[in-house]
Amino acid sequence: MDLTTGPELDAFREEVAAFLDTAPTDAIREAGRKLTSVFSPFDEVMEWHRILHRRGWAAPAWPVEHGGTGWSVEQRYVFAEEYARRNLPPLLPNGLKMIGPLLIDLGSEEQKQQHLPGILAGEDYWTQGYSEPGAGSDLASLSCAAVADGDDYILNGSKIWTTLAHRANRMFMLVRTDSSGRKQHGITFLLLDRLDLPGLQIRPIVGLDGLPEQCEVFFEDVRVPQSGRVGAENEGWAVAKHLLTHERGGSTSSPSLYRFVQTIREAAAVRTSPFGGRLVDDPVFQRDLGELEAEVASVEHVEKLAVSGHPISADLAFPSLNKTVSSELTQRLTTLMARVAGLQGLPQQLQALHVGSGAALLSDDFDLVALPYYLNSRAASIYAGTNEVQRDLIARTVAAR
Amino acid sequence: MDFTFTDEQAMLRESVSRYLHKHYTFAARQALVSSDRPYSAEVWQHFVDLGLLSLPFPESVGGVGGSVVDLVAIGEPFGEHLLVEPYLASVLLAGKALAATADNVRARDWLQRILAGTALGAFAHEEGNGTPDPAQVALRCKGTGAAFQLDGEKRLVLGAAEADVLVVTARVEGEPGRRDGLALLLVAPGAPGVRLTPFTTVDGRSAAHVAFDSVEVPAEDCLSTDAYAVITSTVGDALVSLSAEAVGAMGALLRQTAEFATTRRQFGVPIATFQVVAHRLADMKIDVTKARASLLYTAALVEAGRATPRDLSVLKAQVGRLGRSVAEAAVQTHGGIGTTDELAIGHYLKRLLAIDAMFGDSDYHYRVVGAGA
Repeated sequence: MDLTTGPELDAFREEVAAFLDTAPTDAIREAGRKLTSVFSPFDEVMEWHRILHRRGWAAPAWPVEHGGTGWSVEQRYVFAEEYARRNLPPLLPNGLKMIGPLLIDLGSEEQKQQHLPGILAGEDYWTQGYSEPGAGSDLASLSCAAVADGDDYILNGSKIWTTLAHRANRMFMLVRTDSSGRKQHGITFLLLDRLDLPGLQIRPIVGLDGLPEQCEVFFEDVRVPQSGRVGAENEGWAVAKHLLTHERGGSTSSPSLYRFVQTIREAAAVRTSPFGGRLVDDPVFQRDLGELEAEVASVEHVEKLAVSGHPISADLAFPSLNKTVSSELTQRLTTLMARVAGLQGLPQQLQALHVGSGAALLSDDFDLVALPYYLNSRAASIYAGTNEVQRDLIARTVAAR
Repeated sequence: MDFTFTDEQAMLRESVSRYLHKHYTFAARQALVSSDRPYSAEVWQHFVDLGLLSLPFPESVGGVGGSVVDLVAIGEPFGEHLLVEPYLASVLLAGKALAATADNVRARDWLQRILAGTALGAFAHEEGNGTPDPAQVALRCKGTGAAFQLDGEKRLVLGAAEADVLVVTARVEGEPGRRDGLALLLVAPGAPGVRLTPFTTVDGRSAAHVAFDSVEVPAEDCLSTDAYAVITSTVGDALVSLSAEAVGAMGALLRQTAEFATTRRQFGVPIATFQVVAHRLADMKIDVTKARASLLYTAALVEAGRATPRDLSVLKAQVGRLGRSVAEAAVQTHGGIGTTDELAIGHYLKRLLAIDAMFGDSDYHYRVVGAGA
């Protein structure tokens, strides 16, 4: 066993730190402080994406020939650590972690040339059109229809939980092209290279935090070219499953989970315990925070074993296990955030959550985001396959049913 | 980064596993635990032959220079087979403390005998409800020039009844809470004033409370009067091995429970087909995976000399809590039969409870982590 360190890695850390200390604008930093979900404030994070791209650092995990950094596993971890330490807004995952890697693996040459540069550069934002009002965990029962018409498909139906669709200019989606066989057959994976199409309507959905992040998208005789199809017609389910492995696994989530621990500890250092003294010195608080920090450490250990190629990550259950653990830990961490904020978290301050609003805070940034973060993270155990579905998948690798 | 075992480690683990699989079946283990023998002399002799007793020690004191990762490699099979032999007590605790003070000729002498298998040691350290922080050691040690005098009590000293020598932690100076003024001494279990109250622990181990009533210790048997670092590193290394045992036990629980759930039928179907049961199995797998990853990662940190007290607390707390949780889930999944003495399941539960309780339970270590140590 070994843990790689050394002067080269230290020098790399300094290089990363120097850039991350100077490159983000004030608005980008404010977006980091006002982060309340997986999805960073849109305009600021897309600006930050473009700044990172100019430095060549937008997609560390991508292959070099497609614009990746060529960093070692250790370097990628160092980058993620320094990034999280500065509370910078995470880049939106849909392009860089989902459709980008999918196209690299399964897209045609034309699709790669057409779409990858815009994803990498942060020029395009892709929303994901998977779920439907009648197809959530049972995704394969989706019914949004695509009927071939010449070189096009005509789309009818709707998609829901299309994150930030109201800000998106692209969509990747699953459509029903055949409903005669078993439900997994007859699904087709489709790219829409624009959303300002006749018959396409987007309705933002206000979440528990009081702000719109998710959307519903309606299709009424929407005509799109068949050239946007990834893989063969009717065989989109296999394409989607390939993408889910990118969505669920191979993550470096522990640096951002550590950020919660750090933020909570700092907040507790300037808050009083109801028993007197500082909250950070309260034994019950220490016990609770300690358990969460140790859980984050275990996630770090699992992830570092995985990226080092340890057999632990070859387990079929690994993507589901990762998703379950990190989503539930995020929920527990934001629950502790809400507890630490206490009464100070209760005022609703929607205006102040907008980056650049200049709205005065009733207390501090921690109290501003604690409740919205808690509320938004309720979705973590629901999106990307509910944790009930994930546990079914994990259990199948333990005991054949 | 590479966290896999080397070929040598994999071979060592395989040979230990193979031997235990053949000679340390659950039935054989139960026969041993219910006999009046505290451990199996044959198994112990085999460990001597395999070189396991000299494994953790540097070549300078007659060892083979094995690392903490070697100990993890054999610790998991130890846990899987619910081993009761005094490897932790004699080799990993007493032996390691002696190795750390081997510039003392008496320490070196006892260590030689321990790693040759001709003597057993025991580490008399924990007091009261447990002494995870060595600074809390209170056993009084009065220095009188040529000799010392011990007064007080040590609790749950593993292997004390069989030990030929006790390695005792005590306070020569100051009040409990201080890191200075700690001593490490050799005491003969039969010395005047030493009173053992032997018992068997719930997990089948021989142990004793040891009371010291004006016990005279000659100056040459005092190994250190500034022993905080030695005690901390001895206990710290032992924690990793203990955690490896816990992870071995947890893996066995997951396997046995999964097998049971697929064969046990109720309402006409295997109980694993019930979603509630399936999800409990999923949670067990999640917990085993987290615990094992923390074990392997922390062992690598220790091997690289980079483990902090916080890292060890993370490991001990996680295996303590996750171990209990996995064992309780295993009992529940087995139903009535899981609550009996007849199945290994309950014995794993008791072993994991004991591991959690020793050298600081999960509550203690979580609080250490939370305090930002």
